[in-house]
Amino acid sequence: MPTFKLRKSWDTAILALLFMVWVLASLTTDNFLSSINVSQIFSNSSEIMIMGFAMIFLIIAGEIDLSIASILALSSSMLGWSYAHGAPIWLAIIIAMAVGTLCGFINGFLVTKLGLGSLAVTIGALALYRGIANGLLGTNTINEFPEFWTSFGFDTIGTTFIPQTLPVIIAFGIFFGLLLHNTPFGRRTLAIGQSPEAARFAGINVVRHKIIIFTFTGFMSGVAGVIYTFRFSTAQADNGVGLELLVISACLLGGVSIFGGIGTMWGVVAGVFLASSVESWLTLREINAQWRTIVTGVLLLISVAAPVLVDKWKRAKAASGIQG
Amino acid sequence: MASLLKKRSFGRETSLGVILVFTIGITGFINPRFVTGDGTRDLLSATAIVALLAIGIAPIMIMRHIDLSIASTVGLSAWLVADSCAKNPSFTWLQCFLIGGLVGVCVGVINGLLVAGLRLPSLVVTLGTLYIVRGGVYVVSNSVDYNAQEMPPSLLSLGQKVFFGLLPFPFLLALLLMATVAWIMKYTKPGRDCYAIGSNPPAADLVGLKVFRRTFLAYIFSGFIAGIAGVFYLMRFAQVDSTAFYGQELAVVAAAVIGGIGLLGGAGTAVGVVIGALLVQTIQGGLAALGVDAFWKAAINGLLLIVAIYADRVLASRSEKALLAQRIKERV
Repeated sequence: MPTFKLRKSWDTAILALLFMVWVLASLTTDNFLSSINVSQIFSNSSEIMIMGFAMIFLIIAGEIDLSIASILALSSSMLGWSYAHGAPIWLAIIIAMAVGTLCGFINGFLVTKLGLGSLAVTIGALALYRGIANGLLGTNTINEFPEFWTSFGFDTIGTTFIPQTLPVIIAFGIFFGLLLHNTPFGRRTLAIGQSPEAARFAGINVVRHKIIIFTFTGFMSGVAGVIYTFRFSTAQADNGVGLELLVISACLLGGVSIFGGIGTMWGVVAGVFLASSVESWLTLREINAQWRTIVTGVLLLISVAAPVLVDKWKRAKAASGIQG
Repeated sequence: MASLLKKRSFGRETSLGVILVFTIGITGFINPRFVTGDGTRDLLSATAIVALLAIGIAPIMIMRHIDLSIASTVGLSAWLVADSCAKNPSFTWLQCFLIGGLVGVCVGVINGLLVAGLRLPSLVVTLGTLYIVRGGVYVVSNSVDYNAQEMPPSLLSLGQKVFFGLLPFPFLLALLLMATVAWIMKYTKPGRDCYAIGSNPPAADLVGLKVFRRTFLAYIFSGFIAGIAGVFYLMRFAQVDSTAFYGQELAVVAAAVIGGIGLLGGAGTAVGVVIGALLVQTIQGGLAALGVDAFWKAAINGLLLIVAIYADRVLASRSEKALLAQRIKERV
C-alpha cells in the first residue's frame, strides 16, 4: 500500500514538473507556446509516443526491449527498399509493418520460449536488426516517396496546427490506454509484473501473454518506422539511432517502475511530453545539439534514481517517526 | 559441487579453444594470408582492446551486473589523452596512461556510486552514463580531430613493438592482465566473493559479504581498464575523433558472454573471456577475409551474441540438471 501512495505522488509530481518546464520555457523563450512550436513538439514526439504505448506493457510485465529503434530503422529501410524496387506504396507500408511485427515476435520467442534474458537478447537484436538494415541499404538513402504520404508525415490538418499524424496517435493511445486499464489483458499484464510466479499459478498463460506483448511492440515500432520515414521522407539504415533510450526514459519518467508491475498510460504520455518539451526548450535556447545526448542520459538517470531516492527518504522518515 | 563447476568451466574453455582453432583453420584454408605472421599479428592487435575491456567487465558481469558505458569511456579517454598530448608536446607514453586511467576511474566512480551505493539497476544506469559520457566527448571535442602528428612518438612506437616475433605489445599486456585477474578471481577472497555475490545476491547480503565495496571496486576497475584501453586505441589507430569506438560495447559484452560469463552471474573466467574475444575477432576478420561486406558486421555481432546467450542458457540448464541428478543420487 505505501508504494501505491508513493506512485500516486510521483504521477502528480511529473505533471507538476511538466507544467513547470512549460512555464519556465515560455518565460525564457519567445515562442515556446506558439502554435508552430506546439505542433513541432507533437510531431517530434510521434515515434516516441507510438513506441511508448507498447513499451509500457513490456516494462510493466518485467521485460524490456532495447531493439525497438533498430526495428524502426529496419522497417523504414524495408519500406524504402521495397518501394524503390517497384512495390506499390501500400504494399511497401504493409511489408514494413509486417517486418516490424516479425522482429517483435522473434524477440518474444527468444525471451519466452528459449528462456533468455530480455535485456541481453534485445541488445543482440538491436545490433542484428540495425545490421540487417545496414546490409540492405548500405550508405544509400531513399527519399523519393509519393507526395500524399510525405505530406501525411509532415503537414498539419488544413490551416490548424494539428499534425496529420496526431489523430492516428490519439487513436492508438486510446486503444492501448483502454487495453491496459480496462481489460482483463491489462490486468494480467500488471499481475505478471507484480509476480510472474503468482500469475502463473492464477492460471495466466505467461509465455503466450509475453509473446503477444513483444509482438505488438514490434508492430508499433514498425508503425513508428513508417511514420518516421514519411516525416523526414528518407529511408536509411541509421534512422532513429538511440531512440530506444528516449522511449525507456519517457516511460520511467512517467512513473512506470523498472522492476515491473506498476505504471499508468497517462503517466507515460506526460513523460513523453516532458522529454520532448525539454528537448524543444533546448532547441529554442539554441543550445548545442551535442548537449542533448547528455540531457537524454541525465533524464534517464533521474527517472530511475528519483523513485528509489524518494522511497528511501520516506522510509527514513517513517523509521524516525517510529523512534520518536 | 565444486568439482562439477570446475568440470563445466573446463569444458567451456576447451570447446571454445577447439571452435577457435577450427575457425582459424577454415579461414586460413580459403585465404592463406590469414594465418601468416602478418595476419596473426593483425588479428592479435585487433583483439587486444576488446580482450582488455572484456577482462575489465568480467568481475562486474560475474556479480550479475553490467557496464555498457565502457565504449564511451574509451572514446572520452582517447580524445582527452590526445588533446593533452597536443597541448603538451613533452608528454610521453607514461603521462598518456596516467591521464587515460584517471579519466576511466572517474567514470567508474560515478557508475559504482549509482549501482553499488543506490542499488539502481546497472543496465539502466550504465545506459545513461553511456549517453552522458559520449555526449561529454561530443561537447569537449567540439568536432576537433587529432592525428599521429599530435601524439607522442614514444607512445606510437610502443604500440608498434612486437614481442617474440608474434605478440604485439597491447596483446601482451592483455595476457598479463588476464593472468592477474584470473589469479585474483580464483585464489583471493575478493575474487571468490564476486562469484558468491553473483550466484545469489540476497544470500551474499545475508552472510555479510562486503557487497557494496566489491561492486564499487569492480566498477572502478572496469572504468580504469576502459581508460587504459583508450590509450591503446590511440596506439593502434593514431587518430581520434568524437565517434571513436562508438557502439563497441556490444562486441565486448558478446566476447564476455561467448567466453563463458553467464548473464546470470556467478560463472566464467578471465581465460575464457580472452578466448571469447579472440573468437569474435577471428569470425569478423575471417568474414572480411572471405569477402563479406563490412555493412553486415553489426548484424553478425548481434547474431553471435544471441547464439552465445542461447548456448550459455543450454549449458547452464544442463549443469543444473546434472547437479540435481547428483543430489538425488547422494540421497539414495
